[in-house]
Amino acid sequence: MNRLEDELKRALERVQPPAGFAERVLARARAEAEKPARSRRWLGLFGLGLAGAGSLRWAAACALCVVLAASGVIYERDMQRRRGEEAKDQVMLALRITGSKLQIAEQSLKELDSTSQPQQ
Amino acid sequence: MTTAAAAPATHKLDFEDLVREHQRMVFSIGYHFLHNAAAAEEVAQDVFLELFKRLGTLESPEHVTHWLRRVACHRSIDYARRNKGAAAEVSWDQLPEPAQPARHSDLGNSDPMMSKHLQQMVAALPQKMRMVVILRYQEEAGLEEIANTMGIPLNTVKSTLHRAHAMLRAKMEQTIGKEWGEVNA
Repeated sequence: MNRLEDELKRALERVQPPAGFAERVLARARAEAEKPARSRRWLGLFGLGLAGAGSLRWAAACALCVVLAASGVIYERDMQRRRGEEAKDQVMLALRITGSKLQIAEQSLKELDSTSQPQQ
Repeated sequence: MTTAAAAPATHKLDFEDLVREHQRMVFSIGYHFLHNAAAAEEVAQDVFLELFKRLGTLESPEHVTHWLRRVACHRSIDYARRNKGAAAEVSWDQLPEPAQPARHSDLGNSDPMMSKHLQQMVAALPQKMRMVVILRYQEEAGLEEIANTMGIPLNTVKSTLHRAHAMLRAKMEQTIGKEWGEVNA
């Protein structure tokens, strides 16, 4: 080993962490350990009990399925309503066209009648 | 203190013992890498908290040691990337001269000023190179172990260490004098 490596070993020796470091880590770990217990208590209020996060995930998945199914039904009904309205509009248009044609035909017949009567 | 709630009841690893046993290693990796005690403590606390959550998945004390070293190394690099300026950034080109350079006659002995200067030089190395040097000389890790810890190829470790030596030697010769290089050769 050369001098540079010796000096690097000396310079990079492990150092002592600041006083109370381990206690601060342990306090944070204790706080972390209490966190899931608190959230489980909240979950209990919603009837999810001790199973906690697992039940919450299932509940979320079920809720998502229900929302998706309801959205599908609503979308399908909306599409049906639109198709019905379009069909109704088409029927109304056809009736209007037929009505106007009948009016024209009636007008033509009246004109024919009025021109043919004086000659007799 | 016992293990994390998630850990199996049969687990023999005690979290408090592990913290007390490995605190110097984890803190020192962050300290030598970030050159800042507060930042090193933040990183080290996060590393131990991560250990607390994962304790149930670690099988043996050796596994814990390797895991801690790896996580400390990656967390330190992440911290430096996230907090540019928060950790003491040391510029390679503007490294201060040692207050009392070692004389030729002193070179055989340990010099605290030399160590401090060398620490600053290491802190000014590029991130990956810095971590390789720290793992090699603080942790006395083998080249393969460094490659595993950092998740880089063995040849990259070799070439990085070689370049780090060249850079540090050149800087030492520049700041302390040619005699250092002659003794070193």
